[in-house]
Amino acid sequence: MVRLQGLTKRFPGGGGVLEVDLEVPQGEVLVLLGASGSGKSTLLNLVAGLLLPEAGRVFLGGRDVTRLPPERREVAYVFQDLGLWPHLTALEHLLLVMPRPHRAEAMALLERVGLGGLEGRRPGELSGGQRQRVALARALARRPKVLLLDEPYSALDPVLREGLRLEVRALLKREGVTALHVTHDPEEAMLLGDRVGVMAGGRLLEVGPPRRLYEAPASLAAFLAFGRANLLPEGETLLAFRYEEAVPGGSLPARVLERREVRGEVLSRVLLPQGEAWVRLDAPPGAELRLALPRARRFHRDGHLLPDPGLKEGV
Amino acid sequence: MKRVARGEPLPWGLLPLGALLLPFLVLVAQGIPRLGGALAAWDVALNSLLLALVGTLLVLALGLLLAALALWGGVGRGLEALLFLSFYIPPFVTGMGLLFTLQSFGVALYGAKGILLAWTLHYAPMAYALLRPALGPLWPLLRAARVHGVVGVRRLRVLLPPLLPSLLSAGGLVYLALLGNFGVPAVLGLPARVYVLPTLAYARLNSPLSPDPIGEAAALGLLLGLLALPALLLRPRPLLEAASEGPPSRKPLYALLFALYALLSLGLAAWGLLREALFNPYTGALEPAFAAALALPLVVKGLGNSAFLALATASLLALLALALRPFPQALARARQALDLHHTLPGTLLALGLTLLLAPTPLYATPWLLLLAYLLNFASPAFRALEAGLRVEAQVAAARVHGLPFWRAWLRVGYPLLLPQARGAFFLIFSLALSEITLSSLLYAPGAETVGVAVLGALNGGLYREAAAVGLILAALSGLALLALGRRGW
Repeated sequence: MVRLQGLTKRFPGGGGVLEVDLEVPQGEVLVLLGASGSGKSTLLNLVAGLLLPEAGRVFLGGRDVTRLPPERREVAYVFQDLGLWPHLTALEHLLLVMPRPHRAEAMALLERVGLGGLEGRRPGELSGGQRQRVALARALARRPKVLLLDEPYSALDPVLREGLRLEVRALLKREGVTALHVTHDPEEAMLLGDRVGVMAGGRLLEVGPPRRLYEAPASLAAFLAFGRANLLPEGETLLAFRYEEAVPGGSLPARVLERREVRGEVLSRVLLPQGEAWVRLDAPPGAELRLALPRARRFHRDGHLLPDPGLKEGV
Repeated sequence: MKRVARGEPLPWGLLPLGALLLPFLVLVAQGIPRLGGALAAWDVALNSLLLALVGTLLVLALGLLLAALALWGGVGRGLEALLFLSFYIPPFVTGMGLLFTLQSFGVALYGAKGILLAWTLHYAPMAYALLRPALGPLWPLLRAARVHGVVGVRRLRVLLPPLLPSLLSAGGLVYLALLGNFGVPAVLGLPARVYVLPTLAYARLNSPLSPDPIGEAAALGLLLGLLALPALLLRPRPLLEAASEGPPSRKPLYALLFALYALLSLGLAAWGLLREALFNPYTGALEPAFAAALALPLVVKGLGNSAFLALATASLLALLALALRPFPQALARARQALDLHHTLPGTLLALGLTLLLAPTPLYATPWLLLLAYLLNFASPAFRALEAGLRVEAQVAAARVHGLPFWRAWLRVGYPLLLPQARGAFFLIFSLALSEITLSSLLYAPGAETVGVAVLGALNGGLYREAAAVGLILAALSGLALLALGRRGW
């Protein structure tokens, strides 16, 4: 449905080069995860036609749209700043972008995104969450081949964010929309993506199901992108494990330095022979433990994953 | 960043830009051979220079004081608008008002002192507007100085160097405004035979004795251009970023002083105008002179012509700026080329157009004045559309959602820009309505503007009628200011 072939673009401001190949099948929600400056938004702007690539092609629904202006690409976009039109009401936003403006259809869509009764309000008269819904409804009203979402929940408070993003995912799946969703929040990527693409330095490092990328990343950048990461130097290599991957009962000596509770989860800071790490274990400060790291992995300092069959037994 | 093809500046946009500068080129070419003769007027050039320099220092000092009062007094937009009201009264009307006010106290304001006083009072709000944003970032420096024991005169070592670029750039703009100002020296200087270059050029152009009036005026214009040049080259870079916070404790006394000054400066000009226009100077009885003023054919004709010119200029420029707005780079380039016409003394543009178009049928018609107004006021009109709301993102959102380029602009871009366009219209309307420099040099016989009519009334001794028309102009400017102040989206 979306195919990016050898897409190359110098970042605005000369901060590097984006080089991407990617395929997203019909109806999939692909989340692009990466730090700021990794090229996520540039990639969305290339798909939308707001930027033109220096090389490569953009295919949407089998059609080469590389040189087409944004309005002829049949995409929709939920911008980070929403990009709502302050002079138009919620309903007018939808009517303006619908291929065949139909009032009843627009009203039904507003109802579906939870804006029933608010169709006559302008953005200035709506709350943050309601504006977000207008942006989403406008995007869906366009009946896009692909929906682009650029950190759409970053401006919302945590409570609203959590509810809304699950709601939107359900809506996207129900409508069968293909979506490219950009975020720097690993939790959001895990929660929303059918697949996740990890981006760093303008490259798409890895694409795969979120669970697989979280548990078995093929690169250090992908490992770090999901957070909850301990990285301990061992000579030329780096020992890498997530908080929950440390389990009691091994041969690795550990002394508990600090105990914290975060969102119902107890985390302890421990001192290992290689250095300090956070683990998901409940132990009082001062306690001496023996740990095993059965799912830990080693990376070379240049970032690539090292095959290490002896690792699990060794530590 | 490479934008999509439709958003790129028009390639032909560059072509007319060179043509826009033709009046200046002709002025330089025609003025240079006669420059030797113009040097005989060195005393007037020196007078112009000294008056503009002293005036600039006075205006900056008062503007800086007002900015400091505003910052520490926490002066808001309402009080600021009161201060700007006196700036929106045309300078020659301010001059006239001061003249009448001080006359009622037995003080004759004619001559250099009067010109300096009128300039200082009229242009102080301009210096204030330029300097207040520069003062904000000084607050953290001052706070650090105080905490670390740097007080008294030693504070200047902390404050002056960061402020200097802003002072220089504000000073350059004020100097150019004063150097090119025609109205105040015409009202307060000419009767006392105190000339500056713009008024001398006007006198030469209208002199029946001069064998080559246009050539002589052109040489004087060139001399004026040379005096303006250093200020044009002055492009200091600001040292400080905008501050996020101001002084934590507000001093209401400072705000009160600010308000008193704003009222006083407005009152000084308004009092004389009201007294002259409303009361019979001999009997003291209430006898408004408005009817008498509006019975003068020159005034009626002047008001009509000025209203037409102001309306045409403001509408055409607002429309042109809107048409160029989807191509921001073309708009910026056009505005940069036209900046010169607005920044340099209007006398130069008027003389350049006279030289350029004297051989054509356009000369001595009202259309020449319209052309001069368009060239002179394009820069502020374009700037009003350039600045402010950034609609590109909104238009991009519309295009992403399927609206073609022009439809996206018509449905989203332009409606959002309406407040800016309205602001540009009223700003230009108000400036053009009371314009006097260009019109006094370029008016076609029978197509005088209201500014020319006021000068004529003053010269003919019709002070009460002149004051009445001055009040009408001030009121119209005030109304335009109110329309300008309306908020957008």
